[in-house]
Amino acid sequence: MTKTRTPGISRRSTLALMGAGAMSVAAPWVARAQAKTIKIGMPTILSGRVAQLGTSSRNAVMLEVEKVNAAGGLAGRQIEMVIRDSKGQPQEAARVARELVNTDGCELLLDGEASSGSFAVHEVARDLGVLCIHTCSEASSLTADPKQHIPNAFRCVRQGIHDSIVGGSYAASIAKAKGLKKWATCSPDYAYGRDTTGEFTLYLKRFAPDVEVISESWPKLFQPDYTEVVTKILQAKPQALYSCLWGGDLTSYIDQANIYAMFSQMEVFAVNMADYTALTVVKNLPKGIHSGNRYIKTFPTTPENAAWGDAYRAKYNEYPTNWSWQNATAVMFLAEAAKKANSADGKKLAEVLKGLTIKCPFGADGTVTMRGDDHTLVGYAIGWGTTIPQEPYVPEVKAGDWKTIFELEAEWKKSKGYT
Amino acid sequence: MTELEAGRAERLAPVRSGAALQRYRDVLIALIAFAVLASLPLFTGSKALLDFVIRCSAYGLFATSLNLLVGYTGLTSFGHGMFFGLGAYSFGLIMQKLGVPIPVAFVATLAITAAVAAVIGAICVRLKEIYFAFVTLAFQMLIHSTILSWASFTGGDQGLRGGIPRPAFLGINLANHVHLYIASCALLVLGLLAMRQIAQSPFGYTLRMIRDNAARASFLGIDVWRAKLTVFVLAALFASMGGMVMALFVSGAYPEFAYWTISGEGIFINMLGGVSTFLGPMVGTVLLLLLNDTVTRFTEYHGIVLGVVILFFALGLRKGLLDFVAEWFAQRRDAGEGR
Repeated sequence: MTKTRTPGISRRSTLALMGAGAMSVAAPWVARAQAKTIKIGMPTILSGRVAQLGTSSRNAVMLEVEKVNAAGGLAGRQIEMVIRDSKGQPQEAARVARELVNTDGCELLLDGEASSGSFAVHEVARDLGVLCIHTCSEASSLTADPKQHIPNAFRCVRQGIHDSIVGGSYAASIAKAKGLKKWATCSPDYAYGRDTTGEFTLYLKRFAPDVEVISESWPKLFQPDYTEVVTKILQAKPQALYSCLWGGDLTSYIDQANIYAMFSQMEVFAVNMADYTALTVVKNLPKGIHSGNRYIKTFPTTPENAAWGDAYRAKYNEYPTNWSWQNATAVMFLAEAAKKANSADGKKLAEVLKGLTIKCPFGADGTVTMRGDDHTLVGYAIGWGTTIPQEPYVPEVKAGDWKTIFELEAEWKKSKGYT
Repeated sequence: MTELEAGRAERLAPVRSGAALQRYRDVLIALIAFAVLASLPLFTGSKALLDFVIRCSAYGLFATSLNLLVGYTGLTSFGHGMFFGLGAYSFGLIMQKLGVPIPVAFVATLAITAAVAAVIGAICVRLKEIYFAFVTLAFQMLIHSTILSWASFTGGDQGLRGGIPRPAFLGINLANHVHLYIASCALLVLGLLAMRQIAQSPFGYTLRMIRDNAARASFLGIDVWRAKLTVFVLAALFASMGGMVMALFVSGAYPEFAYWTISGEGIFINMLGGVSTFLGPMVGTVLLLLLNDTVTRFTEYHGIVLGVVILFFALGLRKGLLDFVAEWFAQRRDAGEGR
């Protein structure tokens, strides 16, 4: 056997070393050349039970960022997204958000966290003073409660209270028309489930005072078996059922309730049904379930919205989710604010964002507004409709009236002691 | 006296007289460690590094306190995270609702933790092994569910919102990042030193005896139940301290802090670092957080990476890292002596 390699440093490794040396000398120059880019950090949930929603948020952001970059970037600066997984844990969300700003040099934050994680990121924004747009948390108190208010945080998300007002008035009109007086509720047993159900029934009774709730069920979050809940509701014999179960819980509930033919025995109002993540997963989607819109490309019925849904589907081979449109809208807001401020500086952007109205495919009238006094999104398309088992799943959606929403929201805020 | 016994006695005598010496050595090491950590901000402007150390303090106190139960007493608690959560929530709620100075809230939180731990411990420590593990887990889930359902008080699943007020006291302003960092380091070092003293005291050796042979300890006149309860409460106090550091870091408290996954992480840290040395859990904490922080930067499939690492430790090393190192040194020393 002949030995071809001589001991010592080979030519190849010498070359590699020289290359590495050249890189380390050149790195600061390369970095300086790229200093014109602006980094936007985004903690979101990319693993675990709701990973699909986090991924769909990332997809939507990247779809919009590509457009903004192609059009010249944020006030002339190309956007570079730094998106990291928080596993849905608030302490991780806080850590990741701090790391994105302190270590990775992100100048803006998009907060793709739900519920407790969003409050953790909110505290980071309060601490670091960086501009932060919440894009996934629907908890009303995040912006309605004045204790939470900070000048550098905004929320570009639908809100629980808005959904309840529109849902309550829609359900009341059906209840009056069909004489539905005996109602049951079935919602997940945690703050979102309890609050949303409470608000829905409050507004339902307000618009239809003779409605009576005769049975309440509170299955655990992520409960695998709903048999006892289904039988309890069937025994109570209500005329209508309200549920704010969502995602996998809602689809397993419907699959299991189908066995008992529940949907032929009562009108069902499931606020979170009209989302492709639920619509496409249910085995036999019953006809005629009433649902609020989450994201559906048939509502608003504009070519812009349909085109956006199709573009998303073409790129990622799946339909967008509720989180998708919210994240996309946040990027649209940033782009428009940067144009107006002619700057990508967080403070200047925050000033312009207050009360800013932009053109948007998801607006009720083609526009959405970042309300100035509580930094939250209003004017987005919101409505209820009924399902059919195949595409387009929810062919007609009855739009909610924003004037009523504003009136009742102001009343609600007062009752909570927020104003 | 046989030759063998004489040899043992010779070895034991300096150990006893050296106990005080060792205490001084521990204090000295603690002082040096604190000085090194506290001077870190002078050399680096990296906020991420300071954040890392703050989180190490929180998890380190928690994991080391768990080792007092697992490693020293043989009580494998699956519910130790409840005290981490309890500390974070008690501290956060006291600061939000009562607005007292931070040291008062700190002491009050420890008092609350001690009371709760005494009640839970009195029920749990009578049980052995798997029964103990599961009843502690049950209590943890009870506390977690209470936090979730008592939404008007705890904020439910959204946690304590609105930030934890951090008024300055004695010139220390915990809203300042560097001050918070130094305070966390001080708590970590003091906590570790206190736990070290517990582990090296006669009480600590009683715990080891209970771990190795509880019946024998009982026959020697030791009140096993009381000793177990005492260490259960002490461990809860240090876990609660860890929870307070975490609450200060995130300026809030969230139900996840009291969920079983936190207890799981504690056990994982102990497996990584090792339970037979005092600093094993601290090494495990640094390892886990380093792994977590680097892996999550590159992939969302961190679960696979962490799983492979734990398999490596469980099947490959068959012990924690520091256990492995300590054993390797002991073998080398023995081999050296044998030569």
